[in-house]
Amino acid sequence: MTTKDAMIEFRDVHKYYGDYHALRGITATIRPGEFFSLLGPSGCGKTTLLRTIAGFEDISSGAVLVDGRDMAGVPANKRPTNMVFQSYAIFPHLSVEENVGFGLRRDPRSKDEKARAVAEALEMVGLKGYGKRAAHALSGGQRQRVALARALILKPKVLLLDEPLSALDKKMREQMQVELIRLQRQVGITFILVTHDQEEALVMSDRIAVMFEGEIAQLADPETLYRRPNSRKVADFIGTMNFLPARVLEENAGAVEIEAAGFGRIHVDASQVMGGATAEGATVGFRPETLTILYEGSAATDRESMATIEEVVYFGDMTYYDVKIDGTETPVRISMRNVFGRPVLDRGARARVGWSPGALVLFR
Amino acid sequence: MKSPGFRAYTIGYLIFLYAPIVLLPLFAFNDSRVIAFPLQGFTTNWFKEMWADVNLWNAVRNSMIISISVAVISTTLGLFAARASTRFKFPAKTGIMGLIMLPLVLPEMIVAMSMLVVLLSLGIDLSIFTIILGHVLICTPFAVAILTSAFQSLDKSLEEAAYDLGETPLSTFWLIILPLVMPGIISSLLICFTISLDEFIIAYFLGGNETVLSVYIYGQFRFPAKVPAIMALGTILVLLSITLLAIAEYFRRRGIAKAGGKDSGGFL
Repeated sequence: MTTKDAMIEFRDVHKYYGDYHALRGITATIRPGEFFSLLGPSGCGKTTLLRTIAGFEDISSGAVLVDGRDMAGVPANKRPTNMVFQSYAIFPHLSVEENVGFGLRRDPRSKDEKARAVAEALEMVGLKGYGKRAAHALSGGQRQRVALARALILKPKVLLLDEPLSALDKKMREQMQVELIRLQRQVGITFILVTHDQEEALVMSDRIAVMFEGEIAQLADPETLYRRPNSRKVADFIGTMNFLPARVLEENAGAVEIEAAGFGRIHVDASQVMGGATAEGATVGFRPETLTILYEGSAATDRESMATIEEVVYFGDMTYYDVKIDGTETPVRISMRNVFGRPVLDRGARARVGWSPGALVLFR
Repeated sequence: MKSPGFRAYTIGYLIFLYAPIVLLPLFAFNDSRVIAFPLQGFTTNWFKEMWADVNLWNAVRNSMIISISVAVISTTLGLFAARASTRFKFPAKTGIMGLIMLPLVLPEMIVAMSMLVVLLSLGIDLSIFTIILGHVLICTPFAVAILTSAFQSLDKSLEEAAYDLGETPLSTFWLIILPLVMPGIISSLLICFTISLDEFIIAYFLGGNETVLSVYIYGQFRFPAKVPAIMALGTILVLLSITLLAIAEYFRRRGIAKAGGKDSGGFL
């Protein structure tokens, strides 16, 4: 990839804190105008990686390029990036408009022009008319918006968001997710989001880098990440995935014939075969919604197995069934959308489970 | 909490604490050189006498120079130490901070004696300057303690945000950090000022020929005729203390309101 297609480029980035190896050879490219997420559990290095772009962390080796320019030796206040902090970092002693206009202090424009820019930025984040308020009198969601306006007013090449929604309650969070997506499309700036919330990453991102222990485990678009996780670890981290042991029978140009208890013989296409198996050996993985409980008159599926329902968890719009497929030891989870007029099955009932070989992945 | 014993204890304790202070203005306006009941009538002569005392004014001037210098120097030193201890990691940090805080528990007598020995052996003349040295030593730990708590409540990302928005480390300190720790700085100035003004042992040991207020007042008690004027002076000092405390409390509350925090008790 040429630098023209890259807004951010990590070239074998390493970071040590004393003996601790926080970033272990990150190489990745983030495209201009992309909504990109760094996703991983706490301590995986995602925030550290974000802070290397902002200039708050030095790297031990490698290079970080922003818009084709090596950022080595460029201090944070000279970088074409701006950040929205986890705590929002709203200056409590300044008013809303002083906060938003803070970055314009060194701007040569006239006072009126700056005031207009501040008003525009506030309007963009839905805080029109809040300029004179004291910053400390704002709610969590409003602070978030002020932080966004303050960062975007400088028209950075890249906006960095460090877990910006983690302090909000669920409703507010979902609302802000939608607004952030809208805002990103409106301004067309590259957004890089750090989050530990896989759902948030799936909803908002064009592409996601899943990180574990200082390394990128998989970098892909949300759908690929969900449907074709490249390791058990990624599969486990993103959504729910069922795992059952499998035995490889024969291999032919990447495609594999396997035998899995309860499922019988399955032909697995090369695109479904992943690495990253654990010591247990080969495993098939499938998402809860790729299995269906078949009722009288349900549309036929590729394959069917018989199962016993062990547990029923009713969620209103959904029901989760933990079922034991005949011939297997561990129960697997099936999620079914509740449809009017279709009864929720009871514990202990027998059921036909329909599935399709194309929906599963093989880890070996 | 409603037992009569507890109530009696509380009242007794308050009387023990404040009755002597209430006596000050009482005798300051009493028309008699003898400090005893019954009161003899109202007069403001003692204030006039006090006002005319040249030696007293000299002591006040010395005390002001010393206390203001000590407040400013200790708070400045405290600012550096508190900033360093909350923001940076450096080798032997705990040990260094411990040594800075040590004078807090060191008997002043020891500080005064050892400084006297050192100053004399270095051939430095005792003066206001040497008192300032001693007072800075004992006030700096207070300044560090107050300012450390002010810096600790400061979110580190505020600094990073200002830096991220194009400010230099210096302008960030000026625009963000300083205004936010200002209530702490004012508290520190006032407390250091008060400690220095009160202090007796070091001022007595290291003062040489220069007399400060505390030493002067103590000296005046040798002459019974001068006591009523001292009562008048005491009355003024009490009023001054209350004013200072009120100012400190005002800034503390304003600081909390500015930062949007909840008030969790204070002096008043």
